[in-house]
Amino acid sequence: MSPDQRFLGILDTSPFRIAIVYSLVFACGAALLLGVVDFAVSQVVDRSTDNLIDAEVQGLREQVMVLSRSDFIELVEQRSQDQDVRGAVYLMVDPQLRPVAGNVPAWPKTDSDDGRWIQFKAAVPFGDETREHEIRARRFKLPGGYNMLVGHDVQERQDVKNLMMRGLILAVVLTLLLGLGGGFWMGRRILAQAGAISAVATQIMRGDLSQRLPVRNADDEINTLAREINTMLDRIEQLTLGMRTVLDSAAHDLRTPLNRLQATAEGAMSQVTPGSAERRVLERVTTEVDHMRSTLDALLRIALAETGTVAREPVDLSELVASMVELYAPVTEERGIELESAVAGGAQVQGSRQLLAQALANLLDNAIKFTPDGGHIRVLLTSRSAGPEVIVEDDGPGIPADKREIVLGRRVRLDEARNVPGSGLGLSLVAAVTKLHGARLTLDDAAPGLRVSLQF
Amino acid sequence: MHILIVEDDEVARDYLAKALREVGHTVDVAGDGLAGLHMASSISIDLAIVDRMLPKLDGLALVQSLRATGRKLPVLILSALGDVDDRITGLRAGGDDYLTKPYHVSELLARIDALARRGESGNAENSTKLKLADLELDRMTRRVTRNGKKIELTAREFQLLEFMMRHSGQVVTRTMLLEGVWDYHFDPQTNVIDVHISRLRQAIDKDFDKPLLHTVRGAGYSLREDE
Repeated sequence: MSPDQRFLGILDTSPFRIAIVYSLVFACGAALLLGVVDFAVSQVVDRSTDNLIDAEVQGLREQVMVLSRSDFIELVEQRSQDQDVRGAVYLMVDPQLRPVAGNVPAWPKTDSDDGRWIQFKAAVPFGDETREHEIRARRFKLPGGYNMLVGHDVQERQDVKNLMMRGLILAVVLTLLLGLGGGFWMGRRILAQAGAISAVATQIMRGDLSQRLPVRNADDEINTLAREINTMLDRIEQLTLGMRTVLDSAAHDLRTPLNRLQATAEGAMSQVTPGSAERRVLERVTTEVDHMRSTLDALLRIALAETGTVAREPVDLSELVASMVELYAPVTEERGIELESAVAGGAQVQGSRQLLAQALANLLDNAIKFTPDGGHIRVLLTSRSAGPEVIVEDDGPGIPADKREIVLGRRVRLDEARNVPGSGLGLSLVAAVTKLHGARLTLDDAAPGLRVSLQF
Repeated sequence: MHILIVEDDEVARDYLAKALREVGHTVDVAGDGLAGLHMASSISIDLAIVDRMLPKLDGLALVQSLRATGRKLPVLILSALGDVDDRITGLRAGGDDYLTKPYHVSELLARIDALARRGESGNAENSTKLKLADLELDRMTRRVTRNGKKIELTAREFQLLEFMMRHSGQVVTRTMLLEGVWDYHFDPQTNVIDVHISRLRQAIDKDFDKPLLHTVRGAGYSLREDE
């Protein structure tokens, strides 16, 4: 796997997707929470500021009634300078809007006026320097065309609001990043575990039943699952080994008496004169033993292939097919059959060379048996992207479409083939060997003849 | 030759012993693995035929113990198990050849003959030139001549002839050829080997008076100079 594929693989894992969804939900939650807090805080702070300003406006309105203009200006100046009241803002202007008293340099040019409240920016002294501050204020008219502005510096509140907003954005971004990172990390872990599991599964499918999934000392779902699968594998291994033992016993119990029969017959044969009637009977016995032996061999090989306990190794399929063609070529020539072959190089499969050779030999034996003298047999090995494909094609009688499934079963000989010698297990063995190698066996009409294809 | 048979099946063992004695071998028998191992360690034994499933000590364990002591005598393993994998296991345990029951006595005789001579003709394995009568084969130049005349052979025919020449004077069975030349272990239903042999015969014997490649009825073939 290339780094790119591995990276994309992680994005596809379920933990990564879950992490993405959760971090989005958390981010939205965080945004909502901060929004609500911000709203509530500004409500409380705004109202208390407004109350403060209202009270001040009320006070000044009362003072303007009782004080002379100069005293009032004095009062405004005094309050403007008052260091105890932080953030209080005053401005008194004449009818031409020129400042008369107060701590704001100019009458705000703002039009945004909801009737009572205005909000504007003004340069206010701040320690040694001046700063543009956000001011919330009320305006009201004074006698003689003068105007008065009373407000409060809300820059601090704005600062808090900005800070909260920045915190909010930061929190959302961090949540997303953490979610992504966490998801990525978990995805990698899952991929690593899944990778280990699939590596073991591949080995098990190759026939190594002793392999077990890696289990860590933890009780998470993956480990629990791995433990359960391992228990299952123990059971499968027991059953398969049991099958293998039964197979070995059956082989032993059938081969031993056959061997005695063979030895007895051959022993007796050396005692009788060649050509005598007794000799012929004994020869008949050994011939039958040979038949039984080849049937037994075929059955045992089928059973062995079906237990899946055959040791597997890399097999050069190209070499194998080419050498089988070469092995059978003289026989076909003798029969006047044209054996045509096209073998692509470099095809490799994992499996049993001997069983594959036997399967190919059965296909070629069959093809030769059923192809009339002067006919054609084609053997092809093609390399597809999915894997190699072996095709054996003859122009014999073929197999009727409705019987193609049946011939792959145990010991089926079609009526048409009764007069041709053979155990009838040939194709069953091909089927078992194909299955053992995880390949697909298909029988088709070669029009005329049979076309057998093994797709690895 | 002094041959030891380690086999628990009395019927098969007796017939085998009889057959081996008939062709002139001296035969000792053992009925279980331990007795077999003990007797095989004796220096006088030239070759052992060991059944794979034995009481007391399994046939494979016997061969392994024997090899562990450094004893190099040729061992042919007889097996009544399945095949394919068992053969490989048998050879890995230290067996020199492997035969599945039921077998023809002729097949077994040919194989023990080949095993026995393998030790003798150890040099022939490595020598580049093989020679029988006027037939010569050079493994380096891949050149075959008879009576000085060059004989054209395909790569496989060359391999087949090389195998036959290394076993010249012996009987070589069809399965031995399929195993030795093609490395396949199955019985083809078609007479594939016979046809290959008849082609080789065409190539090396056709234009000459004395045939070298002989058919041994009921057993196989033999490459030898006729007396």
